[in-house]
Amino acid sequence: MTSADYLPILILILIAAPFAGIAILLPSVLGPKNPNRMKQEAIESGMIPFADARRRFPVQYYMVAVLFIIFDIEVIFLFPWAVSLNQLKIFGLIEMGVFLGILLIGYLYVWKKGAFEWE
Amino acid sequence: MSIVLLSILKSLALIILLLTGFAYLTYYERKLLARFHVRRGPNRAGPFGLLQPIADAVKAIFKEEIVPGHVDKLIYIVAPALSLIPALVIFAVIPIAPDLRLGGFTLQFHVADINVGLLYLAAIASVATYGIILGGWSSNNNYALLGSLRTAAQMISYELPFGLLLAAIILTTNIGREAGTLSLIEILNQPRPWWLWLWLWLAFPMFFITMLAESNRSPFDLPETENELIAGFQVEYGGIKFALFFMAEYISMITGSAIMATLFFGGWRGPFADPGTWYGPIVGFGWFFLKVVALLFVYIWVRASVPRIRYDQLLQFCWKVLTPLSIGYLVLTALIVVFVG
Amino acid sequence: MSLPTLDFSLILPELVVLITALLVLIADLLWPRAASRGREQAPAVLALAGLILAGLLTLLAGEWSGATLQGMLVADALARYLNLVVLLAAALGLLLSWSYLPHFSTQRSEYYALYLLAVAGMLFLGKSIELITLFVSLEILSIALYVLTGFHRGQLAGGEAALKYFLLGAFSSGFLLYGAALFYAATGATRLADIAAQNAGGFYMLAGLALFLVGLGFKLAVAPFHMWAPDAYQGAPTPVTAFMSVGTKAAALVALFRVVQAAGSVPVGVWATALAFLSLLTMTLGNLAALRQSSLKRMLAYSSIAHAGYLLVGVVAGTAAGFDAVLFYLFAYAFMNIGAFAIASLLERPGFYAVQDAGIHAADGLFGRRPWLAVAMAMFMLSLAGIPPLAGFFGKLYLFAAAVESGWAWLAVAGVLNSVISAYYYLRVVVGMFMAEPSASAHLRLPLPASATLAVALTALGTLLFGLLATPWFQGISR
Repeated sequence: MTSADYLPILILILIAAPFAGIAILLPSVLGPKNPNRMKQEAIESGMIPFADARRRFPVQYYMVAVLFIIFDIEVIFLFPWAVSLNQLKIFGLIEMGVFLGILLIGYLYVWKKGAFEWE
Repeated sequence: MSIVLLSILKSLALIILLLTGFAYLTYYERKLLARFHVRRGPNRAGPFGLLQPIADAVKAIFKEEIVPGHVDKLIYIVAPALSLIPALVIFAVIPIAPDLRLGGFTLQFHVADINVGLLYLAAIASVATYGIILGGWSSNNNYALLGSLRTAAQMISYELPFGLLLAAIILTTNIGREAGTLSLIEILNQPRPWWLWLWLWLAFPMFFITMLAESNRSPFDLPETENELIAGFQVEYGGIKFALFFMAEYISMITGSAIMATLFFGGWRGPFADPGTWYGPIVGFGWFFLKVVALLFVYIWVRASVPRIRYDQLLQFCWKVLTPLSIGYLVLTALIVVFVG
Repeated sequence: MSLPTLDFSLILPELVVLITALLVLIADLLWPRAASRGREQAPAVLALAGLILAGLLTLLAGEWSGATLQGMLVADALARYLNLVVLLAAALGLLLSWSYLPHFSTQRSEYYALYLLAVAGMLFLGKSIELITLFVSLEILSIALYVLTGFHRGQLAGGEAALKYFLLGAFSSGFLLYGAALFYAATGATRLADIAAQNAGGFYMLAGLALFLVGLGFKLAVAPFHMWAPDAYQGAPTPVTAFMSVGTKAAALVALFRVVQAAGSVPVGVWATALAFLSLLTMTLGNLAALRQSSLKRMLAYSSIAHAGYLLVGVVAGTAAGFDAVLFYLFAYAFMNIGAFAIASLLERPGFYAVQDAGIHAADGLFGRRPWLAVAMAMFMLSLAGIPPLAGFFGKLYLFAAAVESGWAWLAVAGVLNSVISAYYYLRVVVGMFMAEPSASAHLRLPLPASATLAVALTALGTLLFGLLATPWFQGISR
């Protein structure tokens, strides 16, 4: 396995990207142009927009993001382990048990602390 | 033939296939939904409304391009592309038919065979989140921001059970071999004992739920919620840019079905899909197509039957039910692999 | 494929600390929060038990030797000594926390869990002989300390301290990581022993070592990388300040020592000269700044920076005697510095929102109200200033003697001059305690909880005994 295996993927990206780019540019050539003030405004269900959206948002989203980072790294560690479990056998089970165990304590902790509750 | 030229041809074919698939998936969905509602669905453009997707595409292209004054222009314009490109690219590692051998030449029906195929799936699937969150953020609209945040939180939350189940599936590839594999092509080439199929199908409902959430489909279409967020992150988008987001969602549905068909139902495998014969690829693709269409039917069926769930329920279901279940499944699979396999 | 053999027996003390941390973390989740009054201090008891057990294991482990866990950790005499210093500092800081914590927080288990994690990080740091392990240990201890620094949730100073500490700490971790990367670039190895064996010279090693010095310098609060220290030390809960001022220094010094040893190809003259100037700058700056402080805690923070400068003198000396002196000084410093912070914490008063800092005059007239406390404080101050026959004096004596022996006489002279400067602000506190009238608001209600009293008594005893029995102890270290 070499990096040449990834060449087709690069080619696919290089073909897909211009396709998306052209699709985005096409209407500016083909479509009509009648801009007016009302079209330029933010949509707020017909109300006059009163504030822009650069503002604070609920902290729970951060919480989800932080938890995701922790557990996603766990998943990434699981992948190589899963591929080679046949060689690691019991040793692999124990090692991953320790690793998962520590993470599960953290999981239990955030659960009991109510990090998953959403008001 | 040089690998570059072959790859270019395959890539073009794949993109055309996916776009056609997308176009007729919208038709398929509208027809099916109409049937569920006891309506007729699109039937004006062409026979049985078959030209409807083309009419839609033409309409999208000829729409006026509106870039509202309050948006962050560059990101606003790039975001739909960022959302679509991963959806197109992710398909690269999925085999859609058995190899075709003509004389000394072998044609493989997948764009790339990389040894980390499943990791690639997981990686590219997460990149798709960027397009959505950037689109929502750059729109500078409260609804859009909220919608994109919801999407991001939902997608990354459901990525955990997705990843855990994927790890469990990788574990099962250890059975009967020296080591496991991450390549979808090898997974298909390796025979599985009957009890393993049953064990895998146990995980299928969970996996299907994560795929629903990953592609923001009903009942997990919280990002869009027409009636509270007026279409969420897409609210400031119109015309072709909206269509690109739409495309990304539908193509990710197709991709999701293809992944599930490959991992749980044997992909192109079926009677008469024999590798190496002249008819093998045709029959194999037929099986693959049927499986994907059947799974897509389930997607739409769910949309027509299940009400949308509340956002707190959505995240709690992921973190409190799905994640523990998939960890449990993973642990049991590991035990099976070590002690039975 | 051969599976690695893992010998966990050599890291038993660390494992005990880690497991205790996890137990403490989930203890009050498993047993409902509505604990009766008797069980309020359960996390503290558990944490203390864990620390004591780890200490006993360290003592009873016999002669440690050998690397373990794939050559990532080493258990040697140095690590064993560090274990004792850190565990001692941690136990003393824990005794302080016991009575201090209820003033400002109801979250006991998190506090103690983080505290234990910081301890574990320090212990691992002392044992790591591999760049990645070293970095991970450093991060475990740093991240736990960032949170602990900001544990005064309602207090502005606590938040400021934690933020500054976090931002600068993260920044310094970057330096350290780049240093590690350059080491790897130069040698293709991450184990310190392999790096030393390669004996690769050149720019990469030099730049890598420089970046390492910067990164560890941040953790040690060495000038000019000390900017976070006064704020962090002042804003953090006092027991945490006491513990981290000793523990982090000890662990980072051991790591610095190991790294400097590994980079043997870099000429001694280069890094020793750099360290010597850092040391000079650190002690001078720390002492001069300490002269002008109006908060007792902040003054002690600057004094702590100055002491980082003294400690570096031993590393500059580069000899075995030099590092023995560092080890001796660390133990002495654990006693006298934690003792001083203990009394500072007793002098603080619970305010409306959070605990109020003790001003520099808070101790005025203490002798009249609590004579023994005043005597103990006087001992800590005199010991920190380096006045015989207390522990601090002998610590400095050994340090400066080692410097003179290896040809760094000017640095020793600078150290002595600095001690003279420092005597001014230490003695000012002592004079205030015995001569001045108490100011109106000072220690109106001076509480004396049993645990804090015990900590003060232990540290005072330690300061005195280490002074009186300095010679046999030092010989013990050298052996």
